[in-house]
Amino acid sequence: MDRKHPGEVLLRTSGLTKRFGSLTANQDINLTVQAGKIHAILGENGAGKSTLMKMLYGVYAPDDGEIIMDGEPVVLHPPMKAKAKGIGMVFQDFRLIPAQTVLDNIALAVGKGWRFRRKQLRERIMEVSAKYNLAVNPDAYVWQLDLGQRQRLEIVKVLLMPGTRIIIFDEPTSVLVPQEVEAFLQMLMLLRKNGYGILLITHKINEVMACADQVSVLTAGKMVFHADTMEGLTPEQLIAAMMGDKQITNVEKLDTGAADEQEVLRLEDGEIVGDHGNTVLANVQLKLHRGEIVGVAGISGNGQRELAETLFGLRKLKHGMLTVKGKGISGGPKAFIDAGVTYVSEDPLKESVIPGFTILEHMVLDGMPVKEKRIGIDWQGARQMLEASEEAKALRLADLNRRADKLSGGNVQRMVLARALMRKPDVLIISYPSRGLDIGTTRTIQQHLLDLAARGTAILLFSEDLDELFKLSKRLVVLAGKQLSGPYDAAEITASEIGTLMLRGESA
Amino acid sequence: MIITDILTGALRSGTSVMLASQGELISERAGVINLGMEGSMLAGALGGFAVTVWTGNPWLGTLSGGLCGLIISLIHSFLVLSCGANQLATGLTIMFFGIGVTSFFGRSFVSEQIVGFNPVPIPILSDIPFIGDVLFNHDPLTYLSILLVPVLWYVLFRTRLGVIIRAAGEKEDVLFASGINPLLVRYCAVLAGGFLAGVGGTQLSVAYTHSWVENMTAGRGVVAVALVIFASWRPAMAMVGSYLFGAAQALQLTVQQQGWPISTFFLFMVPYLLTLAALLIVERRKRSSMPEALGNVFSADAGG
Amino acid sequence: MKAGTSLTVMPVRESFLSAGRLRKIGLTITVFLAPFVLYGLFLLCYEVNPIELYWSMLKSTFGSLFGFGEVLLKATPILLTGLAAALPARAGLINVGGEGQLIIGALFATFAAVFFLDSAPSWVGIPLMLVFGALGGAVWAGIVAVLKTAGRMNETISSLLLNYVATHTVSYFVHGILKDPAAFNWPYSPQISWQLRLPTITGTRLHIGFILAILLAAVVWFILSWTKLGFNIRVLGGNKLAAQRTGFRINWMYVWVLLAAGALAGIAGMIEITGIEGRLRSTTGVNYGYLGFLAAWMAWNHPLRLLFTSFLLGMIAVAGNTLEIGSGLPASSVQILMALVLFFLMGIARRLRS
Repeated sequence: MDRKHPGEVLLRTSGLTKRFGSLTANQDINLTVQAGKIHAILGENGAGKSTLMKMLYGVYAPDDGEIIMDGEPVVLHPPMKAKAKGIGMVFQDFRLIPAQTVLDNIALAVGKGWRFRRKQLRERIMEVSAKYNLAVNPDAYVWQLDLGQRQRLEIVKVLLMPGTRIIIFDEPTSVLVPQEVEAFLQMLMLLRKNGYGILLITHKINEVMACADQVSVLTAGKMVFHADTMEGLTPEQLIAAMMGDKQITNVEKLDTGAADEQEVLRLEDGEIVGDHGNTVLANVQLKLHRGEIVGVAGISGNGQRELAETLFGLRKLKHGMLTVKGKGISGGPKAFIDAGVTYVSEDPLKESVIPGFTILEHMVLDGMPVKEKRIGIDWQGARQMLEASEEAKALRLADLNRRADKLSGGNVQRMVLARALMRKPDVLIISYPSRGLDIGTTRTIQQHLLDLAARGTAILLFSEDLDELFKLSKRLVVLAGKQLSGPYDAAEITASEIGTLMLRGESA
Repeated sequence: MIITDILTGALRSGTSVMLASQGELISERAGVINLGMEGSMLAGALGGFAVTVWTGNPWLGTLSGGLCGLIISLIHSFLVLSCGANQLATGLTIMFFGIGVTSFFGRSFVSEQIVGFNPVPIPILSDIPFIGDVLFNHDPLTYLSILLVPVLWYVLFRTRLGVIIRAAGEKEDVLFASGINPLLVRYCAVLAGGFLAGVGGTQLSVAYTHSWVENMTAGRGVVAVALVIFASWRPAMAMVGSYLFGAAQALQLTVQQQGWPISTFFLFMVPYLLTLAALLIVERRKRSSMPEALGNVFSADAGG
Repeated sequence: MKAGTSLTVMPVRESFLSAGRLRKIGLTITVFLAPFVLYGLFLLCYEVNPIELYWSMLKSTFGSLFGFGEVLLKATPILLTGLAAALPARAGLINVGGEGQLIIGALFATFAAVFFLDSAPSWVGIPLMLVFGALGGAVWAGIVAVLKTAGRMNETISSLLLNYVATHTVSYFVHGILKDPAAFNWPYSPQISWQLRLPTITGTRLHIGFILAILLAAVVWFILSWTKLGFNIRVLGGNKLAAQRTGFRINWMYVWVLLAAGALAGIAGMIEITGIEGRLRSTTGVNYGYLGFLAAWMAWNHPLRLLFTSFLLGMIAVAGNTLEIGSGLPASSVQILMALVLFFLMGIARRLRS
């Protein structure tokens, strides 16, 4: 890598815009990446950070605007072109092949042709590894590596690619434990010293304060804040920029009704393990009471899915005890369903929709107490029940004869929700219910959830929308830094405090 | 000596299966399962035999056999990779097609005789007692097939090409991100597999039996696919499994010669039962070492 | 291929002749014709007139009672083994063991006929043979079920391998205790008693087994489309995750579906014995298993469509005989035609689905 002069502009974007249909993911973005500087990009989920990165890395082509490198506009799409221009990216989900060794993975990314010189590559790996303190074992299989080690491998990979000058990091410390974070930041600063231009996507304010030279904040696709120097910048200013107006306006608190103190679900000392064997949540204490809505806040990817699955029997607890209505519970979904627990997942299309089946059939499958006409199914009766049902009407359930796999996302959501609501469960676990829905439907759903709670159902509500969480929940918990903190009384805590908890990550 | 006979027979009989299973191994490593290997083997058996009859040159026959096997697998790869058809159903149809096509075109070859490949003892080495007979007294194709195993191992595990092939079967988007088209890799892998199966079929007709009979592979292609799973997708284990199958077949002859009171039909069954048993035993290990792309083919609904 | 669309008896969803549907029908028809054209070219190379062949195929099928009977004769076992493939397919399983399940069913039925039912009257003997046939097929499929649920072994491979085992098993018996003393080189079982044979329709060789097959197809259709059980099966086949979420006992369902499939194929085997041959050979019913599987795929695993596809394959199979008599080409060459039809269908399956 030829050393550029520190401060030299390696890359500049001008008016960069990307649209997906009617959604504008990035609007008019201007940013620069300079050699020997770390530029931090802050923003919430859905703010457009990953779209921006994908444009810089060549996965997407921008709809408007330019990217300028070496004084000339460049096209970075497809990714090979970005690589050729010296842009390397360390992904959050790692572009690695678990079944192969470190050496093989690097050879694939970095090599050319059908053979590679093993010894030579090994030496180069060791060289880079030593220089930046990135210990990797070339002969280890990737599936054996923990997340921190995988990340180091990704970084080594990027450093070994010829001509790398800019390195983009996508939420790098989300997979690291506190001790590793320190080492990571040290390495970042070493890279900076060696003249690389670094783009750091993150939501961790303290890290930004610790090492960034420049910072930009993205909200709803627009760059709302930018600073070319960290002097005089406080964390509060950054949080305020990220949260936008949510900080200020008074969140309307709907009447959450009186709740029983009768406990319906309890998780004690829960330890939940993710798909790769890593601990996703530890020391979880959670209680749900009759008729109460508990909102779960947290940046996506902090264990929401795993926790929900555990509470429905789709995932086994590594440690801890789970009781429903006072009785210990174990086994698969059937046991949980029988105990009165219902789950509305965040990806109904993949997990609940059956290709070729109509909405009516889906409703009958799992939700309605259908009278069985001996061995058959009373379709007529089911249809009548549905057409008369409050929930279906209010949710504006689409025409019963339509195929569920052809529905829009919103309609699928409505169907799945109606189904769950009609079961009148004791415990409802629901993930991101209003994602992708319009305001009107959202309000209706929210009202239904409140009604359900008023009738005694305990609801655990996962949501990214703080408004919604505050509106509906009696109590709030926060998933961050592998912990579940709370419960906090929704009437007493402020959105800003919740935000800080979400963003700060590690609990004290 | 009985053991020597069985072992020698194991190699000779197992070679055709071994070649097919090495070929299927490449294909599955890249993420495509090809039940049509039976069709490729038969095509190779007939093609190789026919060309040997016409030209008198078994090497030419081998090449042609390989090509015939490749052409059959081209149909499979086209339907699966470019048309998105279900891998299992397509493979079976090809198997059926292969049986039909070769039965038809092979009619005139049923009573043909050829010289073909004969065992070629390797000087000096074949005189070693016991091992000499077992290992060094075979037809050229068998020797080649044995050599294939370390070569395949080397390519798959020590070269970037091997990394690319395996990446196609593990995480094709990573491969794509590296600028290589996984579809192309899969095509090549399936075609290579078909070629090897064709050569395996040729060994059966030109070297082992010196004849052509319709449907002569009798399920060897299917066994080859099963053996790849048994072998956890490793070339050396596939070789072991194939020779086990061959040994079970060789056992039939020995039992007949020795006059042991075991029903021949039971012996006919043994190779298949053995394959089933082997699959059962390795079931636990299989899950972790299966190329990811195959997992979708097997565990999903019957959907393509 | 995904388990076929459900044809539950519900109000029609979209206008029957919408543009998209017309296009699909057009595509299907073209794709159906293409293999016949290709095969026709192939025939021309052997100086066989394909138009003549196809015409005589149609003429003999629809022109004479005997011809029609011949087609039904061949279509019957194909229909049953087709059901044996289609039913598990709707649950998400691929059962290719029709061959083996058929012949083991035939084995059980013959066994019963020869050793127990020798002098039983028809109204006792035939139903009992039916039971034994179904039992045999179910047992054979049961092996696949056990391997799948307890051993987690893929059912495609295990059912395929078991086909070969089945053939040798039958050979064992036919060379052994089921051997007709009068047989020499190609052994077969003794003839089963006359009263155990299925009655035939005068003027044809067709036995009433075909009525049973159609009835069974109707039963399977009814179960799949109208009952809760069938509904659950289709859910399982449509989205296994969703089925898990709803708490289905998946392994239990797999077992029952496979046993039922085996029983169906076993009945086909019994019908082959009592309806046609009257005795068991090691080649009894050969290829019917695969043909059934192919018919099922062509029908997208729908029992009623299967009636048509098995009839079609039956027609083609009979045409093979015509071909042989008329031109000397072996009857098996029609296998090529059948495979071609399937290739084309598979090629466009994806496009038809969307």
